[in-house]
Amino acid sequence: MTQQNIEQFTKPIGNANEINELLRRYGVKFGIYKNGVFNEQFFPFDPIPRVISSEDFKSIEKGLVQRVNALNEFLFDIYHDKKIVKDGIIPENFIYISKGYLAQCEGITPKNRIYSHISGIDLVQAKDGEWYILEDNLRIPSGASYPLIARELTRIAAPDAFSENEIIDNRNYAKLLKETMDYANCGGISAILTPGRYNAAYFEHSYLAEHTGSVLVQNDELFVEDNILYHRTYSGGKTRIGVLYRRIADEYLDPLNFLPESLIGIPNLMEAYRSGNVGIINAPGNGVADDKGIYYFVPKMIKYYLGEEPILKNAPTYLPFYEEDMKYVMDNLGKLVIKDVAEAGGYGVVFGSDLTMEKLEEFRQTIIAEPRRFIAQEVIDFLDLPILDNGETVMRKADLRAFVLSGETTKVWASGLTRFSRNPDSFVVNSSQGGGFKDTWVLKK
Amino acid sequence: MKTLNFSFATKLTFDDYVHDHSFALRIIPPDTESQKILSCSLNLYPSVITKQTVDAFGNNVTAGYIQGDHRFLDFDIKGIAEVDSSKHSTFLMPCYRYQSKYTVPSEALIKFQNELKEKYDGNAFDKAVYYSDILSEIIEYKKGVTTTATTAAEAFDLRAGVCQDFSHILISLLRMDGIPARYVAGLAFCDGETHSWVEYWTGDHWEGFDPANNCPVNDDYLVISTGRDFRDCAIDRGVMFGRYTQQLQLVRSVLS
Repeated sequence: MTQQNIEQFTKPIGNANEINELLRRYGVKFGIYKNGVFNEQFFPFDPIPRVISSEDFKSIEKGLVQRVNALNEFLFDIYHDKKIVKDGIIPENFIYISKGYLAQCEGITPKNRIYSHISGIDLVQAKDGEWYILEDNLRIPSGASYPLIARELTRIAAPDAFSENEIIDNRNYAKLLKETMDYANCGGISAILTPGRYNAAYFEHSYLAEHTGSVLVQNDELFVEDNILYHRTYSGGKTRIGVLYRRIADEYLDPLNFLPESLIGIPNLMEAYRSGNVGIINAPGNGVADDKGIYYFVPKMIKYYLGEEPILKNAPTYLPFYEEDMKYVMDNLGKLVIKDVAEAGGYGVVFGSDLTMEKLEEFRQTIIAEPRRFIAQEVIDFLDLPILDNGETVMRKADLRAFVLSGETTKVWASGLTRFSRNPDSFVVNSSQGGGFKDTWVLKK
Repeated sequence: MKTLNFSFATKLTFDDYVHDHSFALRIIPPDTESQKILSCSLNLYPSVITKQTVDAFGNNVTAGYIQGDHRFLDFDIKGIAEVDSSKHSTFLMPCYRYQSKYTVPSEALIKFQNELKEKYDGNAFDKAVYYSDILSEIIEYKKGVTTTATTAAEAFDLRAGVCQDFSHILISLLRMDGIPARYVAGLAFCDGETHSWVEYWTGDHWEGFDPANNCPVNDDYLVISTGRDFRDCAIDRGVMFGRYTQQLQLVRSVLS
């Protein structure tokens, strides 16, 4: 498939209004907190698909499998022997002052040594065609259900598009997820734990439960007895849970082991997990590997654990923690993008070019005062994708969240979530920042 | 070396019935290089099946769940231990080098440490003794002014507290100095309740120091749990449902 052939796919598939109306009716929304007020927002769908050639996908696939395998090795190492620190590849304090590192997880080995069962890896394609990794999400990456349901609906609205084009069917996500959950199961039923309908991704929780044959549960339906996790049934009985795909953050997971004030957790869940009686997807403590400060070291991990050259590149990144990098950052602040390692969801991202001289100087001092808090990256001139804006085709920045599932083998879902920015001047594509999404087509050949 | 008979009892009373009560107790002393538990029995009322695990910090965790209505939870342990404080643990978890929730210093504590640092130099033992000496002069041992939620920074501002507060402040000072330090909860002769002290890393092993009594730890100290700070060592933690508003806790410990 040549680039020219790919460019034929700039036509909208189906009628955007019709599909968006269907999405609305299906309740495809995400929730967002702003100034303490909860709002549900519609996640706008753009009818022009993002098309990835088969050749491109094969190379991305290899690179993602390699990356996720190395990250899983890293997590095992950090919670056991810490060889990568002892061998001086990663400075010790990058691990232990990371908020994602949980000392409570020391020495725990999850079933089959898999920590990141579902990894959401964010990539962008530069104008020269090269793909770059922007971010790893190894805690509870969300978003897989949006392209799934969009595909279902576009198939209804425009069946011809799928009979005429050789597109890999992406409706196998639930099957991949089910295999992954089954592989992590320690004996019992599968359950998806949601904090409830006011959560940003509640739609997705219920969708995935339905499609993987799991029970959708909230914490008050669960309890731990004899270090076994049980689901309380309506008749007053109890059913053992073998794997819990939890959609709540580590610190809220177990009030007796993490934040005592958590009202959405399950007391003693960690004791059941430590005893090997329940699998938790993803493993608690993964935040240490997707910390923005650790991102810099992922290519080094690939060499260290796998003895391989990284297939996919990181965006060129600098750590002000290192003197040499600090000097570069100070000299080039105006053209770099600076990220606060503690923030997520597109918050804490500052483009040097957006700052006035005065603000730039102020920011310079902040970085000097807290070098470990920031990373700096070159701004990648990434490929614009066409989107439909009031009937006109316009070009906007977009990224791709690829989903990698680790079970018996590591597999990449042949689709993903393509998010775009509505604002023509913005590089930030996070859904919480007002962007939309597209279907992502991977071509068969 | 010394043989100690230990016993410890706690009575939790709620002022109304509670149910679906999950709890985790850290009360069974672990076998370590410096102590050997010859016997230990645990009794719980109401009677409930419990499970034992060992947490990330090497502590014995007793977990249980009481579904039905109850108004109290009593537990007691009794046992015999052989303590030899001349033997030391040599395993260092790197997290003990870094400040934790209760020990994160305030500006006042940082300033205080900087001033001390200028006046004194020495190895980890000298530092622990020196810091503890100063603390015993400026911090008043006083019950009722702090709670289990009080941080090192808060207790330092009050210039008062109990053994837990002395431990947190000393840990904070040592860690600021790059010396790994950890919190210990246990039983000691000098106390009718549970006691707390500190262990610091000498460079190749852990040594105990009791800042509340300003003395090194000897064979009269029985370790029940260790961790980054109090958070990892709470004797009992629980979550329960019901209309109760208050719980009363009575603790009694004997070491002989």
